[in-house]
Amino acid sequence: MTRRRIAALPYGPDAWLLRFAERPGEAAFQSMRAITRALETDPPPGLVEYVPGYTSVLIEFAPGPAPDLGKLLTRLNRRLGEAIEPGPIHDIPVRYDGPDLVRVAEHAGLSVAEVIERHAGTVYRVALLGFAPGFPYLDGLDPALATPRLATPRSRVEAGSVAIGGDHTGIYSVPGPGGWNLIGRTSLRLFDPGRATPADPAAMCWLRPGDRVRCVPEAA
Amino acid sequence: MTDVLEVVSPGLLATIQDGGRPGWRRFGIPPGGAMHRGAWREANRLLDNPPEAAVLECLQGASLVVLETVELATAGTWGARAWRAAAGERIEFPASLAGVWHYLALPGGINAERFLGSASVCARARIGAALARGDRLAGLAAPRGRFPAGVKARQPAATFAYDDSPLGIWPGPQWDAFDEASRTAFLTGDWRVSARSDRTGYRLEGQALVPPPGNLASEPVRVGSVQVPPDGQPLVTLNDGPTVGGYAKIALVDAADLDRLVQTRPGQAVRFRSLA
Repeated sequence: MTRRRIAALPYGPDAWLLRFAERPGEAAFQSMRAITRALETDPPPGLVEYVPGYTSVLIEFAPGPAPDLGKLLTRLNRRLGEAIEPGPIHDIPVRYDGPDLVRVAEHAGLSVAEVIERHAGTVYRVALLGFAPGFPYLDGLDPALATPRLATPRSRVEAGSVAIGGDHTGIYSVPGPGGWNLIGRTSLRLFDPGRATPADPAAMCWLRPGDRVRCVPEAA
Repeated sequence: MTDVLEVVSPGLLATIQDGGRPGWRRFGIPPGGAMHRGAWREANRLLDNPPEAAVLECLQGASLVVLETVELATAGTWGARAWRAAAGERIEFPASLAGVWHYLALPGGINAERFLGSASVCARARIGAALARGDRLAGLAAPRGRFPAGVKARQPAATFAYDDSPLGIWPGPQWDAFDEASRTAFLTGDWRVSARSDRTGYRLEGQALVPPPGNLASEPVRVGSVQVPPDGQPLVTLNDGPTVGGYAKIALVDAADLDRLVQTRPGQAVRFRSLA
């Protein structure tokens, strides 16, 4: 059995990035779910917030006595390898007419139609929400479609834009600056503060980590 | 409470802000809140408000008119002061070389809708909206007719102003992955704040840094992180910025120095010094 261990990288005087994997993938995703579940159900004293990423989880502490990091890491290391059940599949209607579709096709050496076919032919998994409110980082992009981020990010990308950044695909949940390649657009509102209720504030986000997503092409 | 102020012009940007909504970044919600924490707190202190009360944050050029006589306090670019404003009085926050952000407090804090425990507007997240001409503001407490005992009612602008002394930084998670030349260039360089700066982040211009090779898996980003995109021009993530990102983070600006950074106007100089 491979011995996995979490490394704690300082990120300012009161925070650490807990690095649990070298690269994204199935093992990293399972580790992230196991670690965040442990932080959620049994937070260490003084923890203000945790934020998951692909290969790391940020933990931020309130000012005060230094947290017992060694004890936390021992506890979290024991949780690695826990299996977490997958979430439901959501269909998302997408109009594939983004301004960077041709750039992605050229980079991949494919036709635009082939790019659409490959992008819509995959069931993606929501790895995490982040970057912007309710923005899903979707795992499972066909490696042929991986395209480097733009050298200079756009200052405005519209909500609903379906995009590829490096080897990830995602859907912009709100308008804002962004450096990903825009390939299409959905009318679905992935983030809507109006959906939040006191009992379920997380309902503001259409998708949750672990959910799965299928893009269904719409006629232009 | 009744409306006591009306927006004549919001200037470049006028929004309601408080301490923000930390704790929701795993849903992608940025912490938000007042850009200049010291000025936000001072405006509330001058009126004996709860420390976390919501205030009006003005970028520059805002203009308001007083509808009913009321105690007001301002703090920020234009210094700090508390006074009783008479109905009909105009309040102006024109552009200033001294800084960027200015705050206006009402008795008890501004009455505003809250989301996830905070009244802070985050236009990028479609949480609330920036103020527009004709919008009216009310305090949560009636005008008191007095000021808290011992309040120093005037402070010079310099208290909250831009100054060019170096900002303290901690090494970012990718500090060791940057080459020696880039680390040195970052720490010794004279950076200029770009005009493409806002509540999400301040862009810096200077000698291009070289980001570490390879694609970084998207990872959490703290407020104050100095990210280096492929074009080598650093971007300091601020209150309304992304919660996760794939650019290498060379450094983290110390939280205590963010107030000075955010008062830096486009074209003004920023320098760094290591706290590690």
